[in-house]
Amino acid sequence: MTSHVSLLTSFALVCAAAAAAILITYLVRRPPLRDGATRVWLLLGLGVFPIGVAFSGNIEGYEATKSRAFCGSCHVMGAHAADSNDAESRSLASRHGRNRLFGGESCYACHADYGMYGTIVTKIGGLRHVWLYYTQYKDVPLEEAKKTIHLVEPYSNATCMECHSTRLDLWRKVPDHASSLDDVRAGRVSCASAGCHGFAHPFTKPSSGEKR
Amino acid sequence: MKIPSAARVLQAACALALVAIALMIWSLFDPRPAPIVLAMSVGQILGTLSLVAFLGVVVADLRRARFEAARGDSPSPPSP
Repeated sequence: MTSHVSLLTSFALVCAAAAAAILITYLVRRPPLRDGATRVWLLLGLGVFPIGVAFSGNIEGYEATKSRAFCGSCHVMGAHAADSNDAESRSLASRHGRNRLFGGESCYACHADYGMYGTIVTKIGGLRHVWLYYTQYKDVPLEEAKKTIHLVEPYSNATCMECHSTRLDLWRKVPDHASSLDDVRAGRVSCASAGCHGFAHPFTKPSSGEKR
Repeated sequence: MKIPSAARVLQAACALALVAIALMIWSLFDPRPAPIVLAMSVGQILGTLSLVAFLGVVVADLRRARFEAARGDSPSPPSP
């Protein structure tokens, strides 16, 4: 995974260097705390600068977790990442992965909760998946997992509708769209279901006729 | 139980803060799941603990100074 030194990373580095210089100086010299200047320096070294590192580090961290490369770096996502990266694949996930506007973050674009706290809410939800993985699925072979692992909750059409609003004439001219408009908006018919545009990750679904 | 001196608490706080900062910087240059999760959990807990410990020491020191001033005692030797 490549990384670049952004403005936020530079800010974090400056804050980290300043904090480290103050803290190491204190540990070496050990000046008396009753000296007002010592308190101010320690407030900077233990409070202000580390908060600056945490602030910029959190933003950079959240941004990093949105990339497709990050999602694919977890070994349980290997098959999903391989399909998304496959230029020949016709799956919904792969086609979105090839989108030049958001293809680098296509996992997040389709699996995120939107809104003001979207990134935070999504990542807290992701921790639930980590917990379920380690408590229930860790030792399940991939071939078995494809048939046994289920979504925690049904995939919401609202996520698709963040981009595909269902309000454009071009969209509504498609007969299947027009006939199922209310059901799609109400979530009774999934955009990503078989027969419509799914499955998004077809290799994880049983072949037709096979029970899940 | 023996209460650690203010100097010991501050030294521990400085060490914890250095570890926290190291974890956070690591996640910036190696944005894989483990470093990022460590930075956002362990790193931030250690950083918060170090700040709370520092504030606790300062508050205790200020209260002691005020108590001594109210008693009219000669000031005790400054804490290290």
